[in-house]
Amino acid sequence: MDDKVNLTSSLDPVTFEVLRNAFVTVVDQMAEQVRRTCYSFVVYNRDFSNALCDANGNTVAQGNQDLAAHVGTLHYTCKAVIAEFGDDVHDGDVFLVNDPYVGGTHFSDTRVLVPIFVGGELIAWSQANGHWADMGGSVPGSFDVSARDMFKEGIRVPPVKIWRRGEYCGDVAKLIAKNTRDPDAIIGDMDAQTQACKIAEREIQRLAEKYGLETIKTAFADVQDYVERAVRRRLSELPDGSWETVDYVDQDPTATEGMIPIRVKMTITDDAVEFDLAGSHPTIGSMYNCAYGGTFAAIVAGMKTFFPEIPLNSGLYRTVTVSAPQNSIISAEWPVAVSGFVMPFEKIMNSIFELFSIIMPERAMACAFNIEYLQTGGLDARTDQRPYFMLYDWLAGGWGGRNGKDGLSATAACFGVGLMIQPVEGQERMSPVRTDRFEMVTDSGGPGEFRGGVGLDKAGTLLEVENCVFSYFCDRERSVVWGIEGGLPSRPHGLWLEQDGKAEFLGAVFSDVPVRNGAKFWRGTAGGGGYGDPLKRDPNKVLLDVEDDYVSVERAERDYGVVIQIIDEELGEYAVDEAATTDARQEIAAQRKGWLEEDPETVAARFRDGDIDMYDVIRRYGVICDWGTGELLPNSTRDYRASMQRRSVPNWA
Amino acid sequence: MPNLRVAVDIGGTFTDICVLDETSGALKIAKVPSTEDPIDAALSGVGKLGVDLSDVSLFAHGTTVATNALITRRLPPTAMVTTEGFRDVIEIGNSTKEDLWDAYDDNPPPYIRRRDRLTFVERTSSYGEVEVGIDKEAAVQLAMKIKRRGYKSVAVCFMNSFANPANEREMKRILEEALPEVAVSNSADVLCEMFEHDRFSTAVVNAVLQPVVGEYAVRMQDRLSNGGYSSDLLLLHSGGGVMTPKTIDRHGARLAGSGIAAGAVASKYIANLCGFENSIGFDMGGTSTDVSLVFEGRPSLTREWVIEYGHPICFPSIDVKTIGAGGGSIAWIDEAGSLRNGPQSAGARPGPACYGQGGEHPTNTDANIVLGRLGAGLAGGDLGLDVTLAEGAIATHITASLGLDTVAAAKAIIDVANANMADAIRLVSIMRGYDPRDFALVAFGGAGSLHGVALARDLSIPTVIVPPNPGVTSALGCLLVDIQHDLTAVHIVDTTEAEPATIEAAFSELETEAHQRLEHEGVAPSDRIMQRTIDMRYGGQWRALSIPVPAPFTSVATAIDDFEQAHLREYNYKRDGAPLEIFRLNVTAIGVSPKAELQHFEPMTAEVAPVTSRQVVFDDVEQALTTPIYNRESLHSGFSIEGPCIIEQLDATTVVPPQATVTVDPWLNLIISV
Repeated sequence: MDDKVNLTSSLDPVTFEVLRNAFVTVVDQMAEQVRRTCYSFVVYNRDFSNALCDANGNTVAQGNQDLAAHVGTLHYTCKAVIAEFGDDVHDGDVFLVNDPYVGGTHFSDTRVLVPIFVGGELIAWSQANGHWADMGGSVPGSFDVSARDMFKEGIRVPPVKIWRRGEYCGDVAKLIAKNTRDPDAIIGDMDAQTQACKIAEREIQRLAEKYGLETIKTAFADVQDYVERAVRRRLSELPDGSWETVDYVDQDPTATEGMIPIRVKMTITDDAVEFDLAGSHPTIGSMYNCAYGGTFAAIVAGMKTFFPEIPLNSGLYRTVTVSAPQNSIISAEWPVAVSGFVMPFEKIMNSIFELFSIIMPERAMACAFNIEYLQTGGLDARTDQRPYFMLYDWLAGGWGGRNGKDGLSATAACFGVGLMIQPVEGQERMSPVRTDRFEMVTDSGGPGEFRGGVGLDKAGTLLEVENCVFSYFCDRERSVVWGIEGGLPSRPHGLWLEQDGKAEFLGAVFSDVPVRNGAKFWRGTAGGGGYGDPLKRDPNKVLLDVEDDYVSVERAERDYGVVIQIIDEELGEYAVDEAATTDARQEIAAQRKGWLEEDPETVAARFRDGDIDMYDVIRRYGVICDWGTGELLPNSTRDYRASMQRRSVPNWA
Repeated sequence: MPNLRVAVDIGGTFTDICVLDETSGALKIAKVPSTEDPIDAALSGVGKLGVDLSDVSLFAHGTTVATNALITRRLPPTAMVTTEGFRDVIEIGNSTKEDLWDAYDDNPPPYIRRRDRLTFVERTSSYGEVEVGIDKEAAVQLAMKIKRRGYKSVAVCFMNSFANPANEREMKRILEEALPEVAVSNSADVLCEMFEHDRFSTAVVNAVLQPVVGEYAVRMQDRLSNGGYSSDLLLLHSGGGVMTPKTIDRHGARLAGSGIAAGAVASKYIANLCGFENSIGFDMGGTSTDVSLVFEGRPSLTREWVIEYGHPICFPSIDVKTIGAGGGSIAWIDEAGSLRNGPQSAGARPGPACYGQGGEHPTNTDANIVLGRLGAGLAGGDLGLDVTLAEGAIATHITASLGLDTVAAAKAIIDVANANMADAIRLVSIMRGYDPRDFALVAFGGAGSLHGVALARDLSIPTVIVPPNPGVTSALGCLLVDIQHDLTAVHIVDTTEAEPATIEAAFSELETEAHQRLEHEGVAPSDRIMQRTIDMRYGGQWRALSIPVPAPFTSVATAIDDFEQAHLREYNYKRDGAPLEIFRLNVTAIGVSPKAELQHFEPMTAEVAPVTSRQVVFDDVEQALTTPIYNRESLHSGFSIEGPCIIEQLDATTVVPPQATVTVDPWLNLIISV
């Protein structure tokens, strides 16, 4: 272990370890302050992150509770501020920026930065990033899925000063706030984020006084070197080679039917890793495009999931090279709409999960669900004042089955595991919408030897509303959450609306749909994809799942080939019929490869006739339909079947 | 006339007993191994101190029974009855994970499995109108199902019951009528909290614990009564007060966290005795360290208390921050060559390398013994410590990688441990706007006084207090506590529309219930104290601050002033003129226990000779110093000496480095001016 000695920090080991921890503590203090004082409920529910950057804008420390989608973008923002202002950075200045085209994510993620001076020298930056509830634009919440460019999305703020040498620039702050739907709350969040940055300023100044300026500056560099060393060591222990995969965004709503490919090729050479996204689709005609910052974040967040104990900073970023085709869905430029960046983001992140699962099978994981987000806005007619209300609601869902363990159920989306769902009682108090059902969904977990986690359903009724509209920000209605190593898919996303006496499937992407008093709606999230061949799942685990209603008796047989006898339903007593199970498993094993070759039109017709259900259509036949009409989507089916041939079939005996 | 107060703190490994003679103020302590039935150890320890239960005036008790039952899932068969469509509230939680990045790390499962969560058609709106009432026939059928399945306890958790508990109460009435032997916990009656997950989770914990702690309390009370004890058993709860077995059958969940609260209560009491209104409790044991804070005599409270992540118990609880740093924490070099400390611990077995029980990894205890800060005998000499083994472990695992000699490596290990603990203290103090220079640090637990002065110096805390029996301080915490109940009502109103009379009426209603509870526990009206707070926030903000208010409540303006001051202190800013909202009203009802005083001693000037001396390495000193070692028992009130010195006693060792001065106060606390 001689090399360790050579690689160790130039600081003594204690000072190094103390400062390394102190920097993280500083960022955690910022997070606590933001959460306790913020106004945006999105921020309160943990859609935020904080960082300490060095004088060059490189990240020294990020927080333990940071949102994954922000990881790996905060240093770009800091560098953008430095590039814009150069020498015009002074003690008492506070900067603000939300520009996704200079390394940010989307307009809602607004960053406040404070330069930290010691003895007149600029030595660091603190940065607090929060997702504001509204940035203006064409729809409440600033997520217009029909946006093709940024002018429908909200106000773009390049790096500006909101405080100048200790003087508050109220004019600039108001210019930003008054372009949104809730100016008071925006100013409140600005205050909360500024004060969080000031906490870091005080703490870094205290540390500099205690340990000396040079020591702190050395430590900033050394903690980045430390992380780089740790990551390189891990990478060098992995085999050299190239691996590639493809995942899909459901559609370009302005183009013909067909899923939108995002390709990721990973190459490990010695202690470095390269990601080539060549072959990914050009930008599309919706807001589901991602600028470069978000793409980099997805790659870094995906890697971090496999090295969870290594802290996050620019040291990790130095081990990674990324090349992305210009003006593609994962490298969009001004003025392409990017508010839905998290959809391509998630495809990249799940691709990284898949590729690392090959080389680190002990941490393997099938596909995780991604966020769905229903925005309801209108007048609350429960009182005479008829105030405007905005109800933004997102759900948790299932994560992929793992090597030796079922997937996580009802967990926040992979783009931000810290993102909390909201209490129904709070929503009902504030909005004229009643929730009728909010629960885990039987059979939603992708079947596998290790089952995907279970997803959720939420159903509600509009009570007394006026001028009320729905917008839905969602994906994976067609690019259904997939299994690996022989595991099977979960279920498609999408929203059903019932009003004026008819029920209609609106799918996973729509905006500005008028809804009226008494309308009922329901939508759900996918579970995780399955890991391993479901026919190899221990029948007793299937039995436990049936007892707890995570799996139905019917699908236990169809997905797992496990035949369950009902002994006493009221007592919750069931048993495995072992002989019948052996037969059922043989039958499925003999036929399943053939099912994936069956004529898709015939499958869709049987689905429309009610002969087979949606789970059969996807899990047995790999066919993708319009889930409302049952109409076949041939291009999506072609690509989805190819995906199952690659991810599931090779592991079927 | 009974004149002995007995306090028992039952932990996983040891049961600590404190006995206070109310007449003389004399204190006796004992430490006995915990037993399978924890009551056995408690009574044998009391017997060991020669206490006759008929001489006991007050028997108070902190226990880990509830916490252990939760963690081990050794819980009675319990059902949840909940609104149809909301079966999974306690499993979904807020959907987050404790470790955001480790996808192989799972949250602990809910305390009631999905098959045991039964649904019922009923509904109340968020403003309290009953939209679907209880169908009696269906409820009776449900009761039969509960009976067939053999549940011992039921949590009734209906949506929006915080706004109107009628449906829950009707269901409870029917279930109790049909199933008199089954305990029923209603969510809004356990804790009237808005937000279904917080309320349901608290009620579920209450339901699964009720049979466990109810049976335990009754059994303990019976054994005490049979032994001649003639009053109520007092059980310490997470809010830092006590309750009697009479209220435990409604609020059993409050006993979760009982053991941890005891230490915080004790440190508050001791600091107070020494004249400090502001104190930080630093309780460092073998595997973990608990940090708590008291400001102006009030312990810092939280409503986000959990035993396990994702399953909150939302009674106001003493805010104790626990980190994985203790005497047994292991020092290691990570893959990038950096020195780390904890959170893995060598535990009691095999323990630190110096225990000679096969432990190979160097721990803080090993580092302390190499530095001479710890002597060769722990726990009264029963366990000899082997310096050579400690040196060997440090040499093997640390020295080579860092290029340091063994002593420097040992120093580095302790410095890293201290820095981690100082960061934990920073999080509860500085970041909440409290200046450590205004506080005293109360250092206790087996290892607290070894590290206390170093931490205080790092944090600019001027004074360290080491209580007379650092290892059994938590038991002392149970000794001088009052009966306490916390009641809450959700009351949402903009301050511009708030009517003092309406608020006063809501407070009165809470206090009526509070008086009933204290009455039930036999507290005389003259011994009752009602403390009121209002939770307020800026309109649109999500977190509230608790502001103490007087009775009767007459002025919203004063409450607003106080809120702004508190916001400024905690968060460094306030927003002049921004709209404010009242969110919740709270009453803390206290049944004051008769006061007793610890024995104190007149200062003396007699000299005390050290028992020995040894070479000790201190911070910021190049060479080891020949350092006098004192026996704590020989130090009288008024004794004072400048460091360096080491003070040893049965259950702890106190390090007084150069430039620090230690004084023994009349209660035999060590007061160290750092």
